[in-house]
Amino acid sequence: MPTIPFDSRLERREAALLAMWAFLVTEALFFGPLFFGYVHGRIANPAAFVSASHPMHVVLGTLNTALLMTSSLTMALAVRGAQQGKAIRLWLALTALLGLAFLGIKASEYWMESSEVAKASGAELTFYFLYFAMTGLHALHLTIGIGVVAWLWRHAARFGREYHAPVEVSGLYWHFVDVVWVFLYPMFYLLERYNA
Amino acid sequence: MTYVLTWLALMILLALTCASSYFPMGPWNTIANMGISCAKALLIAIFFMHLKNAGALLRIAAFTGLVFLAILFGLSWTDYATRQISPAPWQDPAA
Amino acid sequence: MVTVTNYLSDGFTLRSWLTTHDHKRIAVLYMVAITAFFFLGGAAATMIRLELATPQGDLVSADTYNKLFTVHGVVMVWFFLIPSIPAVLGNFLVPLMIGAKDMAFPRLNLASWYVYVLGGLFTVAALVAGGVDTGWTFYTPYSTRFTDSNVILVILGVFIVGFSSILTGLNIIVTVHKLRAPGLGWFRLPLFIWANYATSLILLLATPVLAMTLVLVALERFTGIGIFDPALGGDPLLFQHLFWFYSHPAVYIMILPAMGVASEIIPCFARRTVFGYRFMAYAILGIATLGFLVWGHHMFVSGQSMYAGMVFSMLSFLVAIPSAIKVFNWTATLYKGSIFFSAPMLYALGFVGLFTIGGLTGLFLASLALDVHLTDTYFVVAHFHYIMVGGSVMMYLGALHFWWPKISGRMYPEMLGRIAALTLFLGFNLTFFPQYLLGWLGMPRRYHEYPPEFQLLNLFSSAGAAVLAVGYLLPLGYLGWSLFFGKRAPANPWGATGLEWQTPSPPPKHNFEEQPVVTRGPYAYDPVR
Repeated sequence: MPTIPFDSRLERREAALLAMWAFLVTEALFFGPLFFGYVHGRIANPAAFVSASHPMHVVLGTLNTALLMTSSLTMALAVRGAQQGKAIRLWLALTALLGLAFLGIKASEYWMESSEVAKASGAELTFYFLYFAMTGLHALHLTIGIGVVAWLWRHAARFGREYHAPVEVSGLYWHFVDVVWVFLYPMFYLLERYNA
Repeated sequence: MTYVLTWLALMILLALTCASSYFPMGPWNTIANMGISCAKALLIAIFFMHLKNAGALLRIAAFTGLVFLAILFGLSWTDYATRQISPAPWQDPAA
Repeated sequence: MVTVTNYLSDGFTLRSWLTTHDHKRIAVLYMVAITAFFFLGGAAATMIRLELATPQGDLVSADTYNKLFTVHGVVMVWFFLIPSIPAVLGNFLVPLMIGAKDMAFPRLNLASWYVYVLGGLFTVAALVAGGVDTGWTFYTPYSTRFTDSNVILVILGVFIVGFSSILTGLNIIVTVHKLRAPGLGWFRLPLFIWANYATSLILLLATPVLAMTLVLVALERFTGIGIFDPALGGDPLLFQHLFWFYSHPAVYIMILPAMGVASEIIPCFARRTVFGYRFMAYAILGIATLGFLVWGHHMFVSGQSMYAGMVFSMLSFLVAIPSAIKVFNWTATLYKGSIFFSAPMLYALGFVGLFTIGGLTGLFLASLALDVHLTDTYFVVAHFHYIMVGGSVMMYLGALHFWWPKISGRMYPEMLGRIAALTLFLGFNLTFFPQYLLGWLGMPRRYHEYPPEFQLLNLFSSAGAAVLAVGYLLPLGYLGWSLFFGKRAPANPWGATGLEWQTPSPPPKHNFEEQPVVTRGPYAYDPVR
């Protein structure tokens, strides 16, 4: 493993963690303008946003949130396993499977919602634009995350007490993707459900 | 284990946020939902992402992202909150 | 004669360059690429100044003129100025200055160069496909709805090159935090490092916002639906807020590294330690932070609320303070110094003067009442060119000259260097000073024709551009010449302090024979008092 220019594995691991956190900061700012657009839209067109959100599938959305947060648990357990030199493949596999389940449900939602979009007009269209853009970007990030977790699963034998930075760093990324969804969920699914 | 307790807290908060949206509370619905999302995010960041045990540098890095998002929203708000629409005399008053 | 291996002689094939992990080679790759883009942007500028030599719009059509200033802006901002000092000098010098063997992530560094080139290819493709006429600022709704030029292609190019910036910034930040030599605490770092570190923070925090904003423009253009359309409850000003949230800090990305270079050159050729080191470091951080709070000054007449205008105006005045502190400190560094007017020193002194003029005119523009008259006139064009060309480009060239012996192992011809610096200074002022007057007299920017009473000043400006071109071509010539025929450089031709001068010129592949240990602060030029 190339450790130039680092003096030690510890130094390299610290650098990797700092780099991933710095990268996650850029990701937060990357999603920022979309949140900005949503806040503006919601304040300027409250009725249209509420009416556009009612056909959303709140049961599926809630289920998805639960699945994703559970995958964060399994990922955290994988990271701890790697740090302690224990087996991690089971946790990694569960994480990836939960992620795939999320994507499957999302895809089915997209399929069902496309007909709703055709009926929308005015600021309702803006709601759907933001919905597809934000959840689509999220799904893209999740897909990349699943790929990374699959790669870790494939090379799981490499990781142990001595060397586990890639697992930690991937865990940080996975949790970030979860945090983004934690905000997206109420924004798109929970607008005045009492009137739906 | 801390992780399982964190997960449990997340699930409870999820149930809370979903259920509360079925009760009409006016602006408090949004406030509650945002507050709960922030709580969930903090739980994930502190326990799953190990910010609890991380050095000052990583915590500052995480915090910085939030600060600059706040600047984007906050300073733009000085514009959006204070705009006065002055319609021209010939315009429809509803415009 | 024994040939010692250095980073340049470590493999002569193209492949060894294109697959290198060595930060010094990657810096050279960037230098070649940005020089090419500089001349592309310069070609557009040449056409612009040729058109503006006469009042009639007789050289090119209005549409073509729009495309010319757009390509000039896009190429110069994103493909030249933003990467220039950080990706060329930063990549080369940061590990050397902190006593490290390489950047923290060498492969990521190489990747950032390839991403830069890919972004460049998309932009050139947009140009070949017929260009873009929105201006480098892509304002909506023209860019999303009404123009039929190649907006999406050029947006792709800028989006991609943004990731190159982010990767460079990430590498610099982690490198400075984790790879400093033993004894090299933060307050012993050269100000060049502070400047590039602060620049990297801005790169990381601001660029992603631009990336998403451009994606939103492309999506709205492609689908017809988006957040900038009032008919759908959106707001065109949302674009401007988001765009300028990045683009104002972007100008600090362009000037902070130049300030870092000045802080290296001036102490060296005044033989004095920099005046007020800590204030210089804090001022760098202050500029980077305050720079994020002022973006609304680009929007005073856009329909933004007056109250917000007042807030942004006040904050814009504040950001001048740390810049002024730096100017005072560079000047104070000269006091009782033993000044040597080398070419780098001429560039640096020119920088201090021209940056001051540009900065002061920024205060004019920050004032709401004045800006109503000056906005979108040539006054603004002159203001930002004083800072970006008189400031950043001068220091990029100054830096190239100062560190040329280290980078190439050769000395450039000193007399030619001084002549080029003076030619640049004269040509620059002749080009851009008349533009302040033109703006004050009311000539709008981005117009390819103008009333005849503005011709004399425009002629001065175009003549100045010709002299400026000579000032750029001269270094291209003699620096290239020196690679083959220049005198071989010693390790420290200027007698400068700094770890980069403690290793041979050019440096060996892993920079230092032994790990340097730092025992004192930077700029130890003063004799013992």
